[in-house]
Amino acid sequence: MTRSLPDLSPLDLETDPKGCCARLYESDAVRWLLDGELHPGGDRLTHRLAGLAGIERGQRVLDIACGSGATALLLARELECEVVGVDLGTRAIEQAVAAASAAALEGRVRFVVGDAEELRFADAGFDVALSECSLCTFPDKRRAIAEMTRVVRPAGTVAIADVTADLNALPAQLRSAAARVACVADARSADEYASLLRDAGWENVAIETHDDDLQGMVDRVEARLRVARMLAPPGEQRDRAAEALLLARMALDAIVRGDLGYALIAARRTGC
Amino acid sequence: MAARDSLPAATRSICPHCGIGLDAQLIDRGGRVILRRECPEHGSIEALAYGDTARWFDAQRYERPGGAPVLRQTATDRGCPSDCGICPEHAQHTCLGIIEVNTGCNLDCPVCFADSGTGHQPDGYSLTLAQVESMLDAFVAAEGQPEAVQLSGGEPSIHPEILDMLGAAKARGIPLVMLNTNGIRLARDPRFAPALAALGIHVYLQFDGFDDATHLAIRGRRLQEIKQRALDRCAAAGVGVSLAAAVERDINEHELGAIVRFGVEHPAVNGVFFQPVTHTGRHPAFDPLDRLTNVEVIRALCEQLPEWFREDDFVAVPCCSPTCRSATYALYDGEDLVPLPRLVDIDRYLGFVTNRAVPDLDVAEALSGLFSASAAGGTERTAGRLECVACGVGLPDELRQVAARGFMIVAQDFQDEWTLDVGKLRKCCVGEIVPDGRIIPFCAYNAAGYRAQIRAELGAVKT
Repeated sequence: MTRSLPDLSPLDLETDPKGCCARLYESDAVRWLLDGELHPGGDRLTHRLAGLAGIERGQRVLDIACGSGATALLLARELECEVVGVDLGTRAIEQAVAAASAAALEGRVRFVVGDAEELRFADAGFDVALSECSLCTFPDKRRAIAEMTRVVRPAGTVAIADVTADLNALPAQLRSAAARVACVADARSADEYASLLRDAGWENVAIETHDDDLQGMVDRVEARLRVARMLAPPGEQRDRAAEALLLARMALDAIVRGDLGYALIAARRTGC
Repeated sequence: MAARDSLPAATRSICPHCGIGLDAQLIDRGGRVILRRECPEHGSIEALAYGDTARWFDAQRYERPGGAPVLRQTATDRGCPSDCGICPEHAQHTCLGIIEVNTGCNLDCPVCFADSGTGHQPDGYSLTLAQVESMLDAFVAAEGQPEAVQLSGGEPSIHPEILDMLGAAKARGIPLVMLNTNGIRLARDPRFAPALAALGIHVYLQFDGFDDATHLAIRGRRLQEIKQRALDRCAAAGVGVSLAAAVERDINEHELGAIVRFGVEHPAVNGVFFQPVTHTGRHPAFDPLDRLTNVEVIRALCEQLPEWFREDDFVAVPCCSPTCRSATYALYDGEDLVPLPRLVDIDRYLGFVTNRAVPDLDVAEALSGLFSASAAGGTERTAGRLECVACGVGLPDELRQVAARGFMIVAQDFQDEWTLDVGKLRKCCVGEIVPDGRIIPFCAYNAAGYRAQIRAELGAVKT
């Protein structure tokens, strides 16, 4: 099997918004950089999030920005949840559908293309709304949370795993448009996420920090970017690798300083 | 050997003064692991076993159950370490066999665990080709398919039959045949490197640093030019070289980064082996509680090359006791250097205590071959294994050219009379092959009296 260094042009992050972000995460370059672990802590932190949120066997779960469906399939397989995954990336959704079929889980999971800020689901149709490593990338967080809130039944749960940041302490490059899609520029502190949830009517907000897992992930990305810089032909491709490497190193420094991290956040409503 | 999972841990050791066997304990003191025992005659004896207790525990996860040799050579009689060759209690086969072909040398280094030299010692010896051939046969009989052998000394390159001896090892199908040398003959004899190249020999070159003071303290002479010429001749002839540095506190600790930098730049060099000085044979005065272990060596290297290395880039090698040897591989393109463990979660493949399924058995086998005492940088086998790992974890094919060199960096802490820990020794996979065909674990050979015995036997019979 031959496998070449992927095309690095998707790492050109200057043009912004959500669509670009979804495309970035379904690009070969990013998949290769992340080495199959699309969010910090991989399955281990997904299990932990499910535990923190108290997701129960057989519950109906909406996975927002589900990517190629790893978490949705995990919840369907291990907790027999009925999961709907939604993502802006059409290619990711195709891959998720194929993965569900390969795992013979089509009966329990469904994947659709859609926008987190305008969910095409009826009110109160889910027990849980889950968002892993994606709230940070949504330009309008209040709106995304409002949508999550709307589709969950009154006594339901939200489960969020996300990058946390003290934006004022981050260097300008990490607050740029380029860094937004890398989950950094528009991240909030765990407390800010919690207060956004409270504003939307959520109670019992639980927070667990896992900064080490983010560090491990960025560290692996940093090493692969160095390999990419070694191997990419001189010119644009190598420049992309070098620029992304610079951001990764700034991110590592910020994690060490405590200005950048990763948290699991779960909240419930007692019903109304 | 069962994995050690707590401290204090019971073991056996010896008294460095009188050599008697003693019950011993590994204890934690101030975050370091100390080997402690009490000699009835010489009182309390302590030596540093490992420079960091947390790292010691971390390394224990790499304690892999040993592989058996084809043949065991001696019976259990008096107990470890008094029954060597490979006895029924030994817990690992021999990854690397060593044959010391002579005791004569063209240097008189102040540091020499083998106590060799230029003088005509009354107990010196020089093996015949026939002896070496029968020792190689014994190694093959014990191992089935041996992985690696190193001809050493003394200075083996001054033995008149050294090329025939190396050829005899190659003729037995041993994939990695090394010559351990100070490089003087390589530098002086323009035919020597091409002859080694023709035989496919890997050179293990003593290379302790660059400062005059380092050379004078460890080798007694300034050898920088000789080393450079030896390496250039190896490069011209296409001979692969591992640099082997004896590292001693307050002598050349500060040169480790410079040695690696020099090594990655030199076309002949495919690896660096750092060996804390073994305080047996000839050695400088030392404090057994302030000696260097792999921890201090790796830490110093990381402090000197922070842009390239950090401590967790080094993996405890699982074939021997995991605190004996730590290694890493470096991908270097002439500018940047990426340690292999940053690209592969080695723990998932080689961490034996973790209760997780290995993701890919081919990758696991390749990693196990790479992180072994029988591996060296730059060989075809190393390149093949790196390619297998790179492919298995989705690294691009273009990496092949960078990885083919397979630059290896090793810290190897051999034991001496002060540090001998029978628990480690039973897992030893570096074996001294002696003329009667026994394979004596290297650290037992040096620290438990075998070297003196063999030398007395051989020196008494003039061949």
